[in-house]
Amino acid sequence: MNPREFFVNPADYGLPTRDELVAYRIWDNHFHGFAARNPIEQNEQNNFFVERMGIERSIAQEIGGTLEEPFAPYQHDAEILKILERDKDRLSGRTPIDPGFPDESCAKIEKWIRNGPCIGIKYPGTGKKAVTCSHPNNDPIMRLAAELDVHVYVHTWLKVGGTPRLPGGDNLRSESTPMDVARLAQRFPNVALICGHSGGDWELGVRAVRPFKNVLLEFSGSDPHSGMVEYAIRELGVDRLVWGGHGPSRSYATELGKVLDAEISKADRMKIFGGNLRRICASIFRKKGMKIEL
Amino acid sequence: MKPIDRRSFLKSSLAGATAVSLTGQRLLAAQTAAPNVANSSVPGIIDTNVNLFDWPFRALKYRDTKSLVAKLKKHRIIEAWAGSFDALLSKDMNGVNTRLAIECREHGLGFLIPFGSVNLAWPDWEEDVRRCHEIHKMPGLRIYPGYQPFDLDHPGIESLVRMTSERGLILQVVFGMEDPRVYHPIINVGPVTFAPLLKAVESTPNAKVQLLHFSGSAKGDDLSQFMVQANTFMDISRLEGNGAVGRMVGSIAGLPSARVPVERIVFGSHAPYFPVETALLKLIESPLAAQQLRAIMQGNARRLLPRA
Repeated sequence: MNPREFFVNPADYGLPTRDELVAYRIWDNHFHGFAARNPIEQNEQNNFFVERMGIERSIAQEIGGTLEEPFAPYQHDAEILKILERDKDRLSGRTPIDPGFPDESCAKIEKWIRNGPCIGIKYPGTGKKAVTCSHPNNDPIMRLAAELDVHVYVHTWLKVGGTPRLPGGDNLRSESTPMDVARLAQRFPNVALICGHSGGDWELGVRAVRPFKNVLLEFSGSDPHSGMVEYAIRELGVDRLVWGGHGPSRSYATELGKVLDAEISKADRMKIFGGNLRRICASIFRKKGMKIEL
Repeated sequence: MKPIDRRSFLKSSLAGATAVSLTGQRLLAAQTAAPNVANSSVPGIIDTNVNLFDWPFRALKYRDTKSLVAKLKKHRIIEAWAGSFDALLSKDMNGVNTRLAIECREHGLGFLIPFGSVNLAWPDWEEDVRRCHEIHKMPGLRIYPGYQPFDLDHPGIESLVRMTSERGLILQVVFGMEDPRVYHPIINVGPVTFAPLLKAVESTPNAKVQLLHFSGSAKGDDLSQFMVQANTFMDISRLEGNGAVGRMVGSIAGLPSARVPVERIVFGSHAPYFPVETALLKLIESPLAAQQLRAIMQGNARRLLPRA
């Protein structure tokens, strides 16, 4: 089937048409197309849905190594780099690091961002040591991010568990909470941070990062809850929200539904769907000579 | 542009959905920009999974029944099968079911179809089955294992399947309400085990049983075996991943799964907890042919619960 072929008109069901989705200029802040045993095949298959749902640009979260092994040579790196170049008009990448190893992390940023194609830093939640993003180890990484004027994405969650049973009590040892992001943001107010997965538990995550204007909140990779985007707008303002698809493991439908549920203006939807992300990406795009239209 | 019209939609639905066909009317993407929800020639959707009243842990945006009905109708939902959030934690199930019946009648007569609940862990639940059927005239029941303190290996489950079958009722089994990672700390609901339900349905082969908010993951081929039975269905509200609905019915080349025949998939939104837009977009996102869409949107649910 042609990805632009539909058998019902979305407008008949109170949904945006594909043309309208395209007009929103959707930038997917959270793309896991290369996170698979067969990353090249998976990415190519997912392009069907990128095209179908009118996604303008995807930001891959694992360029250079994998989330689990960010410093190990990865057999698919060369091929992924070719795809990044081939699809540079619609695909960008962040490179994962591990603050348990600050020197290696900085070296990787030099290689993949200053001297490579990547446009952001990714903090996974799967580091080898019990080091979250609030640990002092992060300071040299953040100083380098500030120098390069590049944003930092932090995977966060608040998994309920532990004794006593509380949100965050079941996090992995190196998995940051939105409270960790808040502590980091306070130390580095000049670095744009993205608090991933809306903190895991959005009602708490939003409040944790609220005082720190350099923190943006990302909607992706969690269940869609009616009212979550409006709540975040009330607490943070619409300029601090970004959208992610988290495909292919999550559905674009799931993630788009979060924003379409909100009764907001088209201009505000455009900010969430891509405008805010473009704003914090603009500097690094221009440094790399890449065209970016805000 | 030639959207599905009502006559061909109903004709196809009554005939039942069959294999994937790409020969239906084709509609390319350059649709009209303005919402067209007033156009009566466009077929509506039966939402088999909504809940009324208050979610215990958050004031949901569409918690008021009138606003929920308006929201659903805005998206061309023509009928919604409604359970009650009150059923999760209440002990007075008769009170829960009575309020649900009244609410559906007062705010959605003919639109909201009440699905009462029984709690197998509470005494005299068999009488609640009778009252739901005979007094409230409900077409089915919805159980919430986990929140209601029993799993599907409860000794009453086979009796419940048999009783609902004998009365011609639909039994909806809810496999989850929210991501366990974000439960309120005082809630610790374990996973619902699927295998005992399969056993119960195999011993009552004509039972009408629908899985709600089911992820599609079951041990081995339990799900396929479940769908071999005559009247088993599942909704799409919990299917996750790009093209998940299409993968489930096998409509995506190169991505084999097809574990559930398309004639067993029904629309369910899990509203008002989830945005109704999410489930609707799943139908757009997956590459589904016209006949498949007809089946999922309305035909299969209408076969399960014919209009009175």
